[in-house]
Parts: sequence; C-alpha cells; structure tokens
Amino acid sequence: MGFRFRLASFLVLSLVTVQVLTAVLVYSVTRTQLLREGERQLGSASVAFGRQLDDMSERVAGSVEVLALDFALRSAIAQRDQATLRSALANHGRRVGATRMQLVGVDGSVEADTLAGAGGRFAYADLLERSFERPSSAVVAWQGRAYWIVAVPVFAPDLVGVIAAMLPVDARLLARMQAQSVLPRNIELVALGRDGTVELARGPGASASLAGALAAGGRALPVQPRLVRAGGREYLAQAVSLKRSRASPPVVAILAYSVDEALQPYRSVALAWALLLSLGLAVGVLGAFLIARRVSRPVEQLAEAARRIEAGDYASTPAVGRRDEIGALASAFAGMADAIREREARILHQAEHDQVTGLPNRVAAEAQIERERRADVGGPAALLMVGLRGMPDIVRTLGHAVSDRLMHAAGERLRGVGGCEYVARATDTEFSVLLPGRGRHEAIACAYRIVDALAAPYQEGDLNLELAAAVGIALAPGHGEQAGDLLRRAGVGFISALDTEDAVVVYDPATDPHRPARLALMGELREALQRDRLELHYQPRLHLASNTIDGAEALVRWHHPTLGDVPPDDFIALAEETGNIRRLTRWALATGISQARKWRDSPQPLRVAINLSARDLDDAQLPRRIGELLALHGLSPDRIVLEVTESAVMARPDAALRILHRLADLGIDLSIDDFGVGQSSFAYLRQLPVRELKIDRVFVKRISDAAADRTIVRAIVELGHQLGLRVTAEGVEDASTLAFLADIGCDHAQGFFIARALPVAALETLLAERGAAARCSA
Amino acid sequence: MIRAVLLLSALLAGDAAAAGLRVTVRDTRGAPVADAVVGLWPEDAGIAVPAAPPRRTLTVDQLDLQFAPYISVLRPGDHVVFRNSDRTRHHVYSFSPVKAFEFVLAPGESSAPIAIERDGVVAVGCNIHDRMIAYLYATRAPWSLRTDARGVAHIDGLAPGSYTVRTWQPRLRPGKPDIAQAGVVLSTGAPRELAVSLKLLPDARLQFDRERTRY
Repeated sequence: MGFRFRLASFLVLSLVTVQVLTAVLVYSVTRTQLLREGERQLGSASVAFGRQLDDMSERVAGSVEVLALDFALRSAIAQRDQATLRSALANHGRRVGATRMQLVGVDGSVEADTLAGAGGRFAYADLLERSFERPSSAVVAWQGRAYWIVAVPVFAPDLVGVIAAMLPVDARLLARMQAQSVLPRNIELVALGRDGTVELARGPGASASLAGALAAGGRALPVQPRLVRAGGREYLAQAVSLKRSRASPPVVAILAYSVDEALQPYRSVALAWALLLSLGLAVGVLGAFLIARRVSRPVEQLAEAARRIEAGDYASTPAVGRRDEIGALASAFAGMADAIREREARILHQAEHDQVTGLPNRVAAEAQIERERRADVGGPAALLMVGLRGMPDIVRTLGHAVSDRLMHAAGERLRGVGGCEYVARATDTEFSVLLPGRGRHEAIACAYRIVDALAAPYQEGDLNLELAAAVGIALAPGHGEQAGDLLRRAGVGFISALDTEDAVVVYDPATDPHRPARLALMGELREALQRDRLELHYQPRLHLASNTIDGAEALVRWHHPTLGDVPPDDFIALAEETGNIRRLTRWALATGISQARKWRDSPQPLRVAINLSARDLDDAQLPRRIGELLALHGLSPDRIVLEVTESAVMARPDAALRILHRLADLGIDLSIDDFGVGQSSFAYLRQLPVRELKIDRVFVKRISDAAADRTIVRAIVELGHQLGLRVTAEGVEDASTLAFLADIGCDHAQGFFIARALPVAALETLLAERGAAARCSA
Repeated sequence: MIRAVLLLSALLAGDAAAAGLRVTVRDTRGAPVADAVVGLWPEDAGIAVPAAPPRRTLTVDQLDLQFAPYISVLRPGDHVVFRNSDRTRHHVYSFSPVKAFEFVLAPGESSAPIAIERDGVVAVGCNIHDRMIAYLYATRAPWSLRTDARGVAHIDGLAPGSYTVRTWQPRLRPGKPDIAQAGVVLSTGAPRELAVSLKLLPDARLQFDRERTRY
C-alpha cells in the first residue's frame, strides 16, 4: 500500500467519519426532538379530541333539546302517538346526523324507536339515569361499530322521558374532526373486549391498525405516548378513553403520529446532505490524491534515483526544485550522490592502481589482458614480466622508501620505452608489460629495449645504484589465453632469467616446475594412497662385522599407470608441498611395521628403517600412532628404526626434539639421515636421542678416489662411536669402499654394491641366496 | 292555611293527650328540602279523621314569569283557576293523566275554574316560558303538611296511634310512587321526630337555565 494511497484514504476516512458522526448526531437529535414534539402534540391532541367530541355532543344535545321542547312532540309523547313520535324523531335524527333515535320513558322502557318498534328496555341504563339530570353522552360499541349516544331529557313540563340519539362515529366523522382541529392522521377507535381489542372505526388517514401492536403481549393501552411498530413503520401512539356506558365495552380512541411521516420533511434535507457529502467526498478524494501526489511523486522520484545510484548511475539525480522538506531531501540526495561518485572513482582508481608507481595494479592488468585477449582471440600477444635484479637485497639494505622510489622511477622509465603501452605493477618487485599483437621476435626486441632502459644507474642524492633488469616473456596463444596463465608463465620466465645470466627468458613449459601437471599428479598420489597402490621397496643393510644383512630401509615406490615409475624425490617433494606427506608417512609406517612383523619371525630377521619427513616432526600425534601400530602388530619397538634428516630436525629443533624424545621413550631407535651435509650442530647432536648416524652418500661415493672424504668418513665413524652411536654408510657402490668401511669399523653399509632397493619377494630371494652361499662357504 | 285549620281544630278539640310529629326532609346530600308534601294516613281505625272540608277553588297566579304558588295541595274535587298577572301571554298546559288542559291567557286574564277530580300530580307548564312550572298535588290524606325552607313540617294535636307517613316532592323521580313510611307510632308528649331522606332530581325550573345545561 503506497504512501499516496494511505494518505488519501486517511484524509477521506476522516472526512467520512466526521460527516457520518455528524449525520448520526443530527438524526438522533432531530428524532428525539420530533418524538418529544410528537408527545407534546399527542397530549394536546388527546385533550382536543375529547373536547371536540364533547363540543359535538353539546351541539347535538342542544339540537335534540330544541326538539324535546317542541310542543307538538311533547303533546305526541303525552298522547302516546307512536306514528307522530317516530316520524318526528326520524326527522330530527336526520337533522343531527343520527342513525337511530329513541324515546325512552322514565322507567327505562323504549317508547319509540326509529329503527325498531316500541317496547323493550333501553340498553344503556346508566346513561339514561345520568340523562335525567342533564343531557348525557357515551360512546358505545354496537354491532361492530362505534356509536355515540346523546341522551336528552324531555320535560312536559315535568320529566317525561329521554330522547336518545345514536350517531355513528365512523371515518367520515373522524375526518371531519381532523379537518376541524389539528388531530393526528392516525385515529382509530377500538372496543376493549374481554378477548382483546376490536377495531370499530378508523380515520381515513390511518395506515395501519395500531391497537393490535399496542396491546400485543397483553399490555394495557398506553395512556402516555408510546413508540410502537406496526406495518413496518414506527408510530408514537396514545390511547384516549372515551365517555362510556357500562352496558357497552369501553371504547378507546388511539391517536398516533407516524414517526416516519414526521421525519419525511427531513428526507430531502438528508438527501441534500448525502449529496453534499458525496460532493465533499469527491472533492476530498481528489484533493487528497493531488496533495498526496505532490508529496509522493518527488519521493518516488528520489526512490528511483536511489535505485539508479545503486545500479551505479550517478549522473541523473532528481532536480525537485522545491523549498520544502522534500526539496531539502532531494538536494541532500544529490550531494550524497556526488560524494559517492567521487569516492567511488577514488576507490576504483585505488583498486586498480598501484599507489607507489601510479601504474595499474595486477588486478587491472589482468582485466586489461582479458579484454585484449577477448578482442583478439587466437591472435598473437606477448606478456613481459620485468623486474630488477637484487631487489630483495635493495629492500633489505635501503628500506622500503627507497625501493618504492626506485620502483616509481623504474615505472617511469618503462613507460618511456617505445611500444610499452600497457605497463602495470604486477607484484612488489615486478612490472608486467602487455604487447598486444606481437609475436616472439618483437617481444624479445622490446624486452631488450626495456633491459637497456633500466640499465642506467639510479641516482638519488648521493645514492647511486647500478641496476640490471630481467625479463620473462609469455606468448599468447601458445602459453595460454588466460591472464592468470600468461602472468604466471611470464613470472616463471622472469625467475628463470633471474637465476641465469640471460637478461631475457622466454617461458619454456618443459622446465616449468609449477606446471599444472603436478597438481594432477598430487590428486593421483592421494588416490594411490587411498587405494594402496604405492609400494615399499627395501634396500638391505649389511652388518659389516658379521657380513650379514640384518636390516633394510623402506623406500616408497610409485608405479604410475601412465607415467610409469615416478621418481620418489618428485612425489615426496610434491607431497610435502601440498601437505600430504603425513598421509604418506602414515601409510609407510603401517606398511613398514607390518612387514617388520612378518620378518621378525623369519630365519633372518630384518630391522626395518622408515623415513620420517620434516613435516612429520610437527605431528604431535605421531608417537601415539606408532605406538598403536606396534601394539597392533605385537612388534617390539627395537624392530624398527626411524630415520630423520639432519635438516628436518634443524628446521624446527624444539618441536622436533619433543617428538623425537617421545619416540625414543617408546624404545624406538632413531637415526640421523644424510649426516654431514646439513647445518648440523654438535650441540643439538648431543641432545638428540638418536642411536645411529647415516653418513651422506656424498662422502661415501668418492671414498675410493678422495683422501679427504676418507678422512671425513673415518672421523664421523669415530665421532659416532665416541658418542655411543652406530654408524651407517650410504651409497656404497664398489668393493673397495665396502672394504674401507669395514676396515674403519663402520657398523653398517648400504648401497648398490650390496643391493638396490628391492620388492619384498626379491629381497627375500636375495636373502635366501646369501644364506645358502654362506652355508656353502661355511 | 290548612295548617292553621288543623291547628285550630286541634286546639278546639282541647285534647290534652294529643301527640305531635315533626318531619325533617333532607336530600341525599343532607340539604333541607323545602316544598315537600307530607301526608299522614292513620293506620288505626280508632283514630278520628277530620271531616272532609268543602270543595274549594284555588288560584295559581302567574307573576314575574313564575307560577305562584309552586305547589298547590288540594283534594280531589277542588277547582283551580289560573290568573295571568304578567304583561305577557302565557300558554298554560298540562299533559298529566290526572288532568290535561291547554289554554292561552292574555295579560290580566283568568282561566275558567278547572276541576281536579282525581288524586295525583298535575304538572303545569307554560309553552312560551319553559322555566314556568307548577304542581297541583291532589291528595285524599286527612292531614297534609308542607316543609318550610328548613325542610321541616310540624303538626300537633294528633291522636296517638300508628300512622303511615307519605312524602312527595316534585323533584322525586317521575313514575315512582310517594315515599311511604308505615307504622309511625305517635304518642303523647314530645312530638315524634321523623327524618325523611329523598333522592331528588334537579329542579325542573332550573333545567333551562343556560348556565346549568352543561352536562
């Protein structure tokens, strides 16, 4: 529900509410006033009605009285002259509007009757009695109609009888009465019988019978005005008792005003009101809509502008041009949009540019390269990675400030080189230069121009730096289409250039140690580990004193389904780099310990030496795991040897020492591998819980030729023995070496001359052969 | 005049042991009723009855649009003469069954004597002046009295004994007999007090007063 609609409906609703409340109020006040006025009128009408009846009675009585004084009539009465009496009564009855005239004797007997013969008793004895004293009247119910009897005494000169005139009280009479005075339109006469009311007459204006409604539920007819519903309308009614005779059921006149009729004049007022309300409503709706639109349209415009700003379009902020709050909001909005636009431009620039050189950064360079490659898919392009030799040294020596200024200057020079349009700072120490549409030769030519440009010494104050540049080149599409690939490969070329004397090196996929194939290989190694496709080969170790093979070093071998045998150095280094070495070690431990268990009970038991990686020495779980494996196989710890390289220990000596001590505590013999080539410290050597040194093959393989090496080996053997350690020589390749080693008292020898690393079956065969030979020679 | 005669006769009788009767007539509201005629009828055969007086001729005058007297007590056989002392004509009539007549009297004129032969009430009116009304009360009662303005009628010198007392008044309801009280015993000594209560109609003479015709 929009703001506009809500505002409009609120205004309209309040308008309607006020109008309706006013209407209800006015209606109820008017109605109350009408009812009160009706009650008052009904009260006076009741009085008036009775009085009017009395007046008419009096007139009739007066008229009858004149008749009663007529000498001829009196004479006829005296003489009992029936015919004359009846004709005189009928004649006079017509004059006063009576339908029946009777002459009643003082004893109550009817002496003459215009409707019937004489004789019988006059029906209304109480009326007769009253009329002896003075003319009397009563309203009676007779034959379902209301009659009004006026009884007048006849004197001749004494009271001789009473003339009773019966006049119908019918619609005509009621109409006449209504015409003569302000009586209500609704008049009806009812007889109060024992079984309820009987309607006798009804005025011409009466629309409904009210007696039944008034007497409903056995209620008495109201003496005071009362509201009653009859015939679907509402009336204010009051009953007026009329003079009665005891011989007739009481006759009551019911006077009533129709409330609806009373309200009739107000209908037109109400109609006019409703029209006015509708008109006001329409105007109100329109006005509210217009006002709301005036308020909401700028708000909607602002909202639209906000959406455009959200989408990045800052150009068109709304110009509201108003002086009110919304105008203020709009101008604040425009200001905000400007500020955001500026800030975004700045952030964008910062995001895409290097602060030091002002050149585009690597992200921007990548985007640029991508754009160019998309524009010229498959076409030639060259990406140059340019850097200064010795930059890390410069940073360390002269600090970042100088190196920043140097990079800035280098950037400036690069931009000055012809054809170098797209220069960016790819890393801290490298620039990338994109040469769209250029091939290998042009790229190399450009690279040399760059090298020349950067070769000039850098001077800053009294600082004078000799500079030398190196450039790596990657060529699209041969070296990739993606910016990332090109940058990486150009970087690889750059590093090659740094390592060599060549100033410019074009990337060579064959020499790329970071080629993606290695990653695939890692996945395959993991899979091989899971599926147990690796294999341990064992290189026997000869115990020189007894000339028996009493141990073997476990070496991992991986026969790749397509690549064939993968060199262990390659995939172990890979495993170390990719964090998979612990998994490999666990596998080797499990396999090696299992094998050692098998060999424990063979005729010629072999101790198995297993290599640990530097990364394994961080693994606090390792000793526990080895202990569990030993326990699992029921193997005593002295049946295995764990080999650790010198450099592995030295990398993180404290952590390594903790692990090595725990391993030694298990009773496992530890051996220092590749001893003599690392940065070994005798201080540490003293602390190491090792039982064995393995002299590096570097020293062993030249024992036959080099006297120095012989000295070193002899010294190590002596040192080891002095420290209580066994000493093993690796890389024994000829008989003289073996003889020398035996001569100086080296404990074990290992090498091709004894045996290369062999699968379990081959090793066991070898052992069996040697065993047989020994037995023969013995 | 009758009373005087009766008194006289009583005195002449010199009956020391005579009894008296004092009748007080009131209407139902307790107001004294004048012009009531009280007749005494002896019940005991031993009571001496005065001898019948000779036939008389009574005169009813018409003066100031009134009959005078209002009530004339007479015995059957008496005559009545109507005399017009007014300066207007009077149309005197009676429809009474006792005696019906009708004549016009010019001013100063008198009617011929009218003989009332029967006992009963003759209501006399004037057809010109509705308010004029007079009654001729013909009775055979040995003693007749008329109440005065205080509603009292008094008689002495009656022989002690039992009497029937009949009371009539023109305003009694027509068609009804006189109010009779039988067995009224009179004895010597203080006169017997007798109270009579009458239910009366309005005075017919006033019926035509416009002020009173309201009902």
